[in-house]
Amino acid sequence: MEAEHPMTFADQVRAIPGGEHLEMCFSCGTCVSKCMIQQKLEPEYNPRRLLRMVMMDMREEAFKSPTTWLCSACDLCYPACPQEIHISGVIGAVKSLAVEAGYTSPLETVSVDETLCSGCGICVMTCPYEAPHLIEKEVNGVMDRFSEVDKDKCMGCGMCVAACPMGAIARPGVSNPELVNQIKIKKHKDAPSLVVFICDWSLRADDDLAILESYPENVRVIHIPCSGRIDPQMALIALRSGIDGVLVCGCAPGECHYQRGTYVSACKINLLDSMLGQMDLADGRVRFVQLGTQDRGRIRHEIDSMLAGLQREAA
Amino acid sequence: MVDAARHPKIDVRTYTNVERVEGYVGNFKVQLREKARLVDVDRCNGCGECAKVCPIEVPNYFEMNLAPRKAAYVAMSQSVPLKYTIDEEACIHCYKCVEACGPLDAIDFSQEDKVVWEDIGSIVVATGFNHFDPSVIPEYGYGRFPNVITAMEMERLNNSAGPTVGNLIRPGDGKNPQRLAIINCVGSRDKRFNPWCSNFCCMYAIKNAVLLKQANPEMEISIYYIDIRTPSKGYEEFYERARGMGIHFIQGRPSLITQDDNTGNLFVHSEDVALGRVIEKEYDMVMLNQAAVPQPDVDTVSSVLNISQSPGGWFMEYHPKLRPVDSPTDGIFLAGACQGQKDIPASVSSGLACASRAGRILHSDEWQIEPIIAQVWEDRCISAQGKQCGLCAKACPYGAITVETGKAAQVTTAKCHGCGGCVAECPHNAITQMHFTDAQILAQIRALLAEKPEEKIFAFRCQWCSYGGADLAGTSHFDYSANERGIRVMCSARMDSDFIYEAFRLGAGAVLYSGCHPQDCHYITGQRVGATRADRLMKAFEKMGMSPGRFRVEWISAAEGDKYSRVINEMQETLNAIGPEKLHEENEMLRPEMEKRARRMYEVPLVTEASDYSDEMRQAMSDMEEPHGS
Repeated sequence: MEAEHPMTFADQVRAIPGGEHLEMCFSCGTCVSKCMIQQKLEPEYNPRRLLRMVMMDMREEAFKSPTTWLCSACDLCYPACPQEIHISGVIGAVKSLAVEAGYTSPLETVSVDETLCSGCGICVMTCPYEAPHLIEKEVNGVMDRFSEVDKDKCMGCGMCVAACPMGAIARPGVSNPELVNQIKIKKHKDAPSLVVFICDWSLRADDDLAILESYPENVRVIHIPCSGRIDPQMALIALRSGIDGVLVCGCAPGECHYQRGTYVSACKINLLDSMLGQMDLADGRVRFVQLGTQDRGRIRHEIDSMLAGLQREAA
Repeated sequence: MVDAARHPKIDVRTYTNVERVEGYVGNFKVQLREKARLVDVDRCNGCGECAKVCPIEVPNYFEMNLAPRKAAYVAMSQSVPLKYTIDEEACIHCYKCVEACGPLDAIDFSQEDKVVWEDIGSIVVATGFNHFDPSVIPEYGYGRFPNVITAMEMERLNNSAGPTVGNLIRPGDGKNPQRLAIINCVGSRDKRFNPWCSNFCCMYAIKNAVLLKQANPEMEISIYYIDIRTPSKGYEEFYERARGMGIHFIQGRPSLITQDDNTGNLFVHSEDVALGRVIEKEYDMVMLNQAAVPQPDVDTVSSVLNISQSPGGWFMEYHPKLRPVDSPTDGIFLAGACQGQKDIPASVSSGLACASRAGRILHSDEWQIEPIIAQVWEDRCISAQGKQCGLCAKACPYGAITVETGKAAQVTTAKCHGCGGCVAECPHNAITQMHFTDAQILAQIRALLAEKPEEKIFAFRCQWCSYGGADLAGTSHFDYSANERGIRVMCSARMDSDFIYEAFRLGAGAVLYSGCHPQDCHYITGQRVGATRADRLMKAFEKMGMSPGRFRVEWISAAEGDKYSRVINEMQETLNAIGPEKLHEENEMLRPEMEKRARRMYEVPLVTEASDYSDEMRQAMSDMEEPHGS
């Protein structure tokens, strides 16, 4: 029987855990609009169509589709899907078949500088995608441990970059020196200066992005892929260079594009805030806010209240 | 409705609850509680003076709480009969209404609930449906964003008799909206809430859009949909007309609504499936077309009337195609949307069907039922000997059996539907089911297991589901083991433990105990009676040391021919895996226990005769079997 009917592409996907319920999709488009990748990154991104491709046995197209590679399994779409399809599970199944077939991820990924890596394994624990793993290899006749990143698994969030105590991991565009270079503000006599680290995914609407651009030079906006990219050191560097406040914006809990970046960063930044308090430094110099998908326009309120607080402190 | 109220033979009782229903088809006794409305209905002429002077205002449920009503009120101005009621919970007893009523003297604060019993021939249930509350869907923001409203709120806001006299305004700021989004399938076709399609919402969305567009031609109206379903006569033409009027139809289920806090405007995020692109459009107002869901009190109503519910809570019909308005209880009929989501034409048709079904009962002196009823052998019933029992009454899904200690159990024939649950439950074999007597069934078991029993898979199938499933497997040509032998009983409740013991005593290789899925049971709770017994048997066989898989319990619907053939094939595989030697050994080991357990069966009249075959008959049976081979 089985020899007569070779497995279709859909059968293969279904056979991988996560790939079940594939055929339940009735193409309502909820997942596509809930996801922000199409709006922000890639117009061709469309999970609904990928599911369709699988069902119609379009193997090569599916493997080449950006949807296969760009989904970061944030599962924003999963609770909204009326058919309760675990869409990121299906996409993950397609991705693993694509990797098997020899396709590679087109994403910008992190790289490890082996001269700096101490093999501590913190990056392995931090990564939501199990991309880094420790390897042992011989360097100058001595066996040593290093971290190695699986390029097909890495989504480029930069959480490991923030976590690495040796500064051995970098992601092009948001490496430590590149971010530090951006923390430069023309000081204003009357207005307090503020650095805003903003996660690219926490603002959905175009008018929210326009709000960010409406601020004068004393507010410096730095775009990062995930709030998890920011470590307390970055905030301290900003404060030491004479800047009055640091605001880090991430997604609401459960809505993080990289699963737990917002959680990790919220813990770190809030801890830093309380430590600054213990050092008798003024309250509210460092703040973390979590912006939900329905918090349209809240960013203006957050920045304004932060500025007002700093102004009060200065007075 | 007004005509109905004026008809000499129609008695309209409003503000009245049905509390108990006793009796049977043609002879129901119904207990009604006429709630105290604190107004004498014979004196009230509906002038409304009491409401005018009443100082208390509470939210008006009929207006979707968009407007107030007084504590002295009528539900709506078209109420029939037009008699006022005083809401006792809201009333502060200022007695201004008494004064206003004046010489009519209709208001009576001493009134109390009245309980009355009525003789009723047949009952029509027309309790309707309820609306899904969309505030549980966080992404649509209903309840948080004032300008997101439900379809029913829109209905009131756009009604010339409504709180705004037909002037459509936004609840947020009272402005007239110029851009409106209508979102379909809110809470329906959504496995998180209700998996069903609510049937009428597509047409309903189009109707609202057309009405609004006619009144305000410059208004921009978009309907977001997954599929537009317009299957009835004239519906597609109406849809086309709406498209012609310039109403936008956007295929794509919105995933999110956000609000601009300054303007109160709403942004609807969705994919335009035709474009394959995510769109975010700004609207002044959003209307959510909510799902139709069963009434919140369906459980109470179904237990009072003893009618079952389909999955989801709709009342269950006797047969979805052939008896769509009959409930499983004779003489009770289901009209309109209480049986399932229906639009107006379908509700009217089912109402008319109910009227004719009910009329048939009222016009006949006699009522024919299926002859497969249960009968009690009074001399065997231990209740007659003064012992406590009542297992039969407990098993009966229809309440057809009354047991009084000291008297034999009594079956109300008109209520009995012939599931046979009581017959199988009776530990003293004191009940028999006509045409499905123990003797008849045992004869079938013996005949089918007369030859090579250890190779056989013996299947007990229920008339309505698994028998249909087996039949479908046959007509669909699904292959299954030729060693299967099956008999039909009316319900899994009839599958007596004794039959199973007898089958194993005769050496059956495997026994399948099959019936309807719990929610599909034709006899309301018959499947539950059967399932409980099957669980008990399963445990007993396990204890006795029977190999697992030889006794199997499966619920198979009439549409699951594939499942039937799969189950039988799996059982065959189990038998193959056990192997004939071990099977034989096991049967020999189990026989004494089975004999002991099935012994009581032989005390039943006629059983012994029916199970003793002459040698010629055995020969004839094996001759018949041979040409097919096995």
